[in-house]
Parts: sequence; C-alpha cells; structure tokens
Amino acid sequence: MNIKSEKEEYLEKLWTMMEDKEDSLQILSANMNRNDHEKIIQELQMDDLVQTEGNSIKLSSTGEKKARKIIRAHRLAEKLIFDALGGDYEKGACEFEHMVNTELIDSICILLGHPQECPHGRKIPQGDCCKNAVKTVECAVMPMTDMEIDQSFRVAYINGQKDNVRLNKISTLQIRPGSLVKMEQKYPSIVIQCEGADIALDDNIAADIYVWKEANNIRESGGEQSKHDKKSRFEFMRINRGR
Amino acid sequence: MEQKSQQAHKPDIPPIKVGIVGLPNSGKTQLFNNLTGTYNVVANALLTTIEHKVANCEINGHPCEITDTPGIYELYTQSFEEASTRDYLFSKKPDVIIMCMDSNRIKQSLNLTLDLLELGIPIIIALNAIDETCRRGIVLDTRKMFRFLRVPVFECIALSGLGTDELKDAILQARGVKWEFQYGPLIEKGLAQIVQMLPTDLPLKRKVAILLLLNDPYISEFITKKKYDSDNIDIHQIQDCVTSTQQNFQGNLSRVINNRRSQWVDDVYDEIVLQHKITPHEYEKTIARWCRKPLSGIPILFFIVYLVYLAVVNVANVIAEWMDVHLWVPIQSVINGWVPAGFFNDFLIGDYGILSLGLANAFITVLPILSVFFLIYNTLEDIGYIPNLCVLTRRFLDKIGLSGESVMPLVLGFGCKTMATLTTKSLQSKRERYIAIYLIAFAIPCAAQMGLNISILGRMGLLALVIAFSVLIGVEILAGLLLNLILPQEDKGIFLQELPPIRFPTVKAVLVKTWYRLIWFLEEALPVFIYASVILFVLDKTGLLMASRLFLSPVIEGFLGLPIEMVDALILCMARHEAGAGLIIKFINEGLLNMTQCIVAVTLTTMFIPCFANIMAMVKELGTYRAIAMSLMINASSFLIAGTLNWSLILLL
Repeated sequence: MNIKSEKEEYLEKLWTMMEDKEDSLQILSANMNRNDHEKIIQELQMDDLVQTEGNSIKLSSTGEKKARKIIRAHRLAEKLIFDALGGDYEKGACEFEHMVNTELIDSICILLGHPQECPHGRKIPQGDCCKNAVKTVECAVMPMTDMEIDQSFRVAYINGQKDNVRLNKISTLQIRPGSLVKMEQKYPSIVIQCEGADIALDDNIAADIYVWKEANNIRESGGEQSKHDKKSRFEFMRINRGR
Repeated sequence: MEQKSQQAHKPDIPPIKVGIVGLPNSGKTQLFNNLTGTYNVVANALLTTIEHKVANCEINGHPCEITDTPGIYELYTQSFEEASTRDYLFSKKPDVIIMCMDSNRIKQSLNLTLDLLELGIPIIIALNAIDETCRRGIVLDTRKMFRFLRVPVFECIALSGLGTDELKDAILQARGVKWEFQYGPLIEKGLAQIVQMLPTDLPLKRKVAILLLLNDPYISEFITKKKYDSDNIDIHQIQDCVTSTQQNFQGNLSRVINNRRSQWVDDVYDEIVLQHKITPHEYEKTIARWCRKPLSGIPILFFIVYLVYLAVVNVANVIAEWMDVHLWVPIQSVINGWVPAGFFNDFLIGDYGILSLGLANAFITVLPILSVFFLIYNTLEDIGYIPNLCVLTRRFLDKIGLSGESVMPLVLGFGCKTMATLTTKSLQSKRERYIAIYLIAFAIPCAAQMGLNISILGRMGLLALVIAFSVLIGVEILAGLLLNLILPQEDKGIFLQELPPIRFPTVKAVLVKTWYRLIWFLEEALPVFIYASVILFVLDKTGLLMASRLFLSPVIEGFLGLPIEMVDALILCMARHEAGAGLIIKFINEGLLNMTQCIVAVTLTTMFIPCFANIMAMVKELGTYRAIAMSLMINASSFLIAGTLNWSLILLL
C-alpha cells in the first residue's frame, strides 16, 4: 500500500472516530496497528489535515473535507458491491475508494437512488448530487413509494439498518434485497405482494425500501416472476449466491 | 396458559409429543383439528390462535400429545408472544414437529423450516393449501424438496382433510436427521466458543448460541431463568464472548447470518418451484383490492352492514317468533296447567322465572339472532374480509393516536373483545397498548353484541340503527382523541401487517364453525342466564329489587329517560351482555321502550361493563389496579354519554 492510500485509511478512521465521538491517539494507533504510525501522523500534520493536542487528535477542516469524500466513496462502494452485486463488501471497498473520482461516485450515487446509509448502517455523507436530488431518466433504483400500481420490482436495499426491530420485522416478511415485490395498492395504505403474501405497510417504511426498476415491469397479473425473466436481467445480482 | 382437552390414553406407553408449528394463518389449527378430532376455531385470519392448545389422542393405536402453537415467522423473536412458541419448543422439546407450510408462501416457510431443522428435532413437513398453489400456476416438486431437506414432505389440504392419514403414519415413523447449517469459518469459531460456555444440560445449544449472536432480546433470559446447571455459568461472560465475536467480525454480523440463510432459502426455492409463465387471473385478488380501496371499499362495508341488518331483523325475528309461538307458548300453557299461580309458578315462568328469563331468553330470544349473525360473521371471517379492513381504516385510526400495529387488535375486537385484548401483547408501545385496550373495552361491540344490537335497533327501523352506531363511532373517536392528548407521546409503532388472502369459503366449514360457536355460547352462557334469573328472582322476592329500583330511579328514569324495568336489564348485563339484550327485546315486545329509549339503551349497554372475560384479559395485560380503574372509568362515562344522548335526542326528535 502506498503512502497516499495509507494516509487516506487514517483519514477514514478519524472520520469514523469523529462519528463515535472519539479523539484519543491511542485508540487510533491501536486500531490502525501500523509500524509507520508516527510517520503517517507527521505527514498528516504536515499536510494540515489533522490537529493534535496532547493525547487527542482530530481532523482539521481541510482534512474533514477530504475524509468526507473518501468515506462517501467507501460507503457508496459498499452499497454498490453488497446490495447491487451481492458480493462481500469488506474486501472490495477498501481499495475502491482510493481509485475513483467524484464524478464516478456521484453517478453511482444517482444509480443507487441516493442511499443514506452504508450496509453497516453508518451514514453516507451527502454529495452535491444528493443535495440537488438529481434524478435522471436512467435512475435504476427508487423508493417503493414511487412504484406505480401493478408494477413488479426487486428490492435493492433497505434504509434504517440501525433500527433492528424494524428491520427484522421487514425481513421476516421476506422483504429483503433480491425479493420481488408487486405494488397492489397505494391508498389509503400501501399494499404490496411479496413472495406470495399480501402485506400492508406505512408510507414511511415504504419510503425506506428501495427497489430496482425492471425492463418489462408492467405485468398482466400475478406478482411472481417467471423463471425466464429472473435469469435475464438480474442474474448479476445473484452471483456468489449459488452453491 | 394451556387448555387441556383430556381424552383417554394408555398410561403405560409414554405419549409421542407432537408440536404443530408454522407461519401465522398457515392452517395449523385446522391440521390440529384433523389429527385430534377436536374442534377449535379456525379462520382465514392471522392471530386466530393465541394460546397453546394441547390434546391427547390416539394415532394408529399409539397415544400422542399434540400441541397447537401460535404462528411465528422465525425463532428469532422480538415480541413476547412469539417467544412463547419458542419456549415451548426449547423447554418441552417435542418428539416430532409438524411444520405446517403454507404452499403459497414457500420462502417465508422455508426460512422457518431452516430454523426448525437446526434444532435437530424430527420434522415432518405438511404442505398445506396445495390446491391453491396449483390454481396459481405454481408447481412444487415435493420429491426434490425431500431430497434437499431430507425430511418427509406431504402435500395436504387441511380444509378437506386430505393428507391427514399420511401425516399420521409419518408421525409414528419420524426420525431425527443430523442437520447442521454452516455459517462460515469466522462465525462457526465464535459459535463453538459460545456453545462451550453454555450450561451443559441446556437443550439445543447451537441454536441458542446463534440466537445470542443475533442479539435476541429474550434468549439470555431463557438461559438464566431455567435452572440449568447455572452455578458455573456466567451470563456476563457469555455476553462478552458474544460481543467479541460480533466485533471480530467486520461488518454487520446479523445481516451476514441472515444473508446466508436467505441464500439457502433462495437456492431451495429455485430448485423446488416450477412456475408457469402465464399466471391465471385471480378473482380473489380483484375482490381484495375492491374491499381495500376507499371508493369501492366503503360502499362494500356499508352494503355488508346493511345485509347483516336485513338478515338479523327479518330472518332471525321470524325464527324467533316461530319458536315463541310453537315452543314457548305450549310449554307455558302446560306449566300453567300443572302448577297453580303462586310462588312456584313465578319461580318457573314468572317475570324472573328460571324458565322464562333463563331458558327461554337464551334459546328463543338470543339464540336465533346469534345463529343468523354468526353464520354471516363466520362467512366473512373465512373470506378473510375483516383483517383486510385495516387497510381501509388505517389512516383514520392514525388520527386518533393509533398507529399501525394496534389497528389489527382493534379490528379483531369486533369478533371477540377478550381475544383482541390479549393480542395487544404484541404492541411495542405501552401508550398504544393502553389506548387500544381502552378502546376495545369501551364502545366496540363484540360479534354477539353486534348481532343483538342490530336486532334490537332493527325493530325500531334503520334510522335508530344509524343514530346508535354513529353515536358509538363518535364516542370511540372522541375517546381516542382524548387519550391521545392525555397520554404522554411515545415513539409510534410501525404499521407492517400481513393480510390474509381473500378465499371463497366452503359451506361446510362455515356451518361447522357456526355450530361450535353456538354450542360454546350455550355451554358458557346458559348457566349464567339461569343463575342470573335466580338472583333476580331472589332480589325480587326479598324486595331488594324494588329498593334498588327506587334508589336508581333518578338516574334511570330522570337522567337516562328509560323505564325503571331497565334496572333488571342492567343487572343481567353485568352477568352476561346477551342476557340483558334478551330482556331488552322482551321489553320492546311488551311496548315498554320507544325509539329514543332503544337507542339510549343500546348505547348504554354496549359501553357498559365489558364482559367478565374481557375484564380478566385487561387484568392480565394491565394489572389489577389499572384494569379496575379503567372499567370504572368506562362505566361512569357510559352513563354520562347515554344521559347526554337521551337529552339531545329528546331535543332533536
């Protein structure tokens, strides 16, 4: 790993420490466990990315800006790899954020429908695209509330990973990434069909469930996808899922 | 907690313990009825069974103890009621589990099956409602399923009893399979560590360890509560081990575990399910949609209420009159011929006679009305209409402080208030539970009350019915709004509710259910009717009734504008609502009540003291003190409201 990536790893760690309200130098060094710990801290100080004071260390405003970008890339990458591609997120994402530029990250963000949390449930920093709520025609992922009646989409991801009670309730009904849902009714309450069961739910839950748009989404009747369709477009989501 | 229906069984051979487990509304109770030959209420609705039921029976000569459990989605639990089924599996350790699988919800069922397979208890899978699945164009390959799961799989249609014999044979032959689902090296290592630390005689250690890793809120309680060799275990030490495993694992451990599981479910599903390309049009779905949309749903709701009104008023009254003329009048004349007028004549057929107020009231006045009403109600229940109403009423109920979860108990209150009160256990928010219990006890009439109310008001015309029910609805809303304001705000529970599918009911099932409901009504209520008439008779003869009438007359006559005889009805009401209603019908026939008085009487009795079972359920959920306080509050407000109603009706009409 080169020194640039090493420094970025430190910035990432400092950001998560900031989120957890931690600023102890020991915790940082214990967590990173690097031989050249001192050197990297020095480099960071020279670049004016961190501020140290006695035993505490925290990001400077420039450091924060930079860390924010990296974190955003990291968490969006996790989101992409884990939710969209069905892979193991920790392996890929560490490398990923050091390689891509802002434009690419923004387009991933738009593709994923501006997710708010990474798969661990930590907050993804907002980019300009989220603030402007960019919606392109190609936007492949959208909240369930935007579905039209009778459309069948596949669940991409669910926001609110921290609320275990709620998440568990949702997933016991088999509403989880990859399952097919069909919008039955939107008013007075949303009713969806998911894996053979009709489920009524509140708008605010539906707004946290994001779905993939499918090409031939309007179906005559019945919510279940036939075998043929399943293979064609969404096969990529099921990589690593077979035996 | 457990209801035992004892039947003879040989004491020398230990009975095979069989547990029926499955998703909510998957037909467990119907299967239970088929296997045991008993009858318990089955309905096309969730939460029909809320208590474990045990029955002893003989299967091919071998004694069996079969337990029916409330439906669960998985063994990981969030609520107390779900934990009860798990506690049964963990501590009673059945010899055989029958997994009742809803063929329409294969993935959900497979998820639960995986949980059960991990327990290592012999399992038999009953693929229920296989006929519906076929009609939907889905074919299940049971042979492949058997190969994958390595447990016997039987197709069955519980409603018609198909597949019961195969299941019985399988129970006797069931054998355990070694089944270990692998979660990957890191998690397995942690699991092994935790398993070592658990008490040695704790059953199903591996599953307990997995639940610990998933942060199940009830599992540590389970370990410590039971006296499993607990001297040398330290729950904190175990908890530390769990936390360290969770931290060693980069990322969200529960999510990874759940993902591995759903991968397995997906794999099995892909193998066993063959889907036809063209899915047939389902009329049931269209009907369900119409019922849930406001534009069509509200007219449908009113139409059904009107239909019930017509049936109860016209059909039931005709039956009641026929019975009165052809049964009661002859009996009366025979008794009058045998027993001369006086004390004994009064005791038998006087105003408070054991036959007239007890038996005739139950059989001739109340029973015809309940039969007709239950027939319609049971049909609606088997269609699955009632739970689907919660979609229609959801937003409206939100306004009176009931968000989401509590909608279902409230809707269930129209069936049986006691059951509905017990289901509020599943509500996360204390505040909502309180509001729900109050509203259920207050102005919601239960099925029997509803039938009788319609019959009473129907005698006065449709207008009376509309006024009385609008008042009740208004009162309920007002109470909801007030409680919403008074009680401190809390986080709202979420509304995420599975709905039963709309089904065409079978005539036989509806008739059988109506028959049993009426039998149960008579078993439960007839003694109460008779005791109550005896008590009234004694009160009357000792003059106490007169005294209490005098004492209460300012309230009853002055404030409520009701004839003084209503005191009798109120006393009967305290014993059993149906008895009071029966007496009110008698008053109407005698011309004692006019329309305004009928409306006041019905609103009063509907709100007045909830039945004894309901109060007991309230005590169970809220504690004695609060339950009594709530009942008193309900009674006080019911008098106030009925009085106000009386005066405003006098002014208006």
